Amino acid sequence: MSPAEPVAAVPTDAALIAAWHGGDEPAAAELVRRHARALARFLAGAGALAADVDDLVQETFIRAFRALGRFRGQCQFRTWLMTIGGNVLKDAHRRSRRARVVPLGDDLRATDGDPHERVVAGEAERRLAAGLEQLPRMQREVFLLRAQQGFEYEEIAAALGTTPGAARVHYHHAVRRLKEYVK
Amino acid sequence: MNDDAPLHDDKLQEVARRLGARAADRLDVERTAQVVVARLRTEPRAQIRVLGGIRPAWLRIAAMLVIVVGAGVVVRSVWRDRPTATALVAGAELNGLSADQLRQVLEAVGQPGGEDEAISSQDVGLEDLSALELRALLESLEG
Repeated sequence: MSPAEPVAAVPTDAALIAAWHGGDEPAAAELVRRHARALARFLAGAGALAADVDDLVQETFIRAFRALGRFRGQCQFRTWLMTIGGNVLKDAHRRSRRARVVPLGDDLRATDGDPHERVVAGEAERRLAAGLEQLPRMQREVFLLRAQQGFEYEEIAAALGTTPGAARVHYHHAVRRLKEYVK
Repeated sequence: MNDDAPLHDDKLQEVARRLGARAADRLDVERTAQVVVARLRTEPRAQIRVLGGIRPAWLRIAAMLVIVVGAGVVVRSVWRDRPTATALVAGAELNGLSADQLRQVLEAVGQPGGEDEAISSQDVGLEDLSALELRALLESLEG
């Protein structure tokens, strides 16, 4: 019977962040691999156009790595990353308004150019996306962090700089309004 | 999830979990990681720290200070340069005069006061009087 091979421990986000601070580029790449898809889902849910998601994800990571010195571990790295993503998305919307770019319709949001894919995109999904657009930013982000990403209120509150009670209230307001769109 | 019981809606949460799934699936994670690392490598750390280290709140405060100081300078210069109330009134009154009347006013302004012009007692102090004048004054007071 051969001895069991040691299982390589998966480094925590904190360990990867510390490694990146020490100049370890593969640690930064691993953080991107670990969180990029969840961030893309969050950004698409928050109203990013499908064509922009790739660039927004990159920009969010760049800003996050620039600001890592200010990250004190008050919340998970992923939650913190998504709050930065919200800021990046807001800036992108501001720039697109300034450039007078007409946004695509809801039926084209979060889909690519494939007509078949547009057809099969769920009606409820489109309605929810349309409803999310109408929400105040705080309600939208709390809802996505809770319902889409599955974070607890304590975690959401720590990331957004509010209290768990206030986060809960934002979530309930968001759900009440979104139900009207999805029903 | 008991916290959400009053508004619990499985359908809503299920739709929310699906939201953005296609965008996430399409994302080339490995390429994204490479691009991010390459950008971090090419953009100088010093610049990153300087730009990233300035908190927006401090920027806002600094901008407000500049605006307040600038506004103060402008208000002060405008206040200093404004015409006095007397000049405004005089200007308004002169507008109604004819050319001849204006000439007369200018001549009157240019003339020095006459020798017989009465001098108010408030304009002269005891220190301005000569010894003879002081004696005459004392004598007049004594009757």
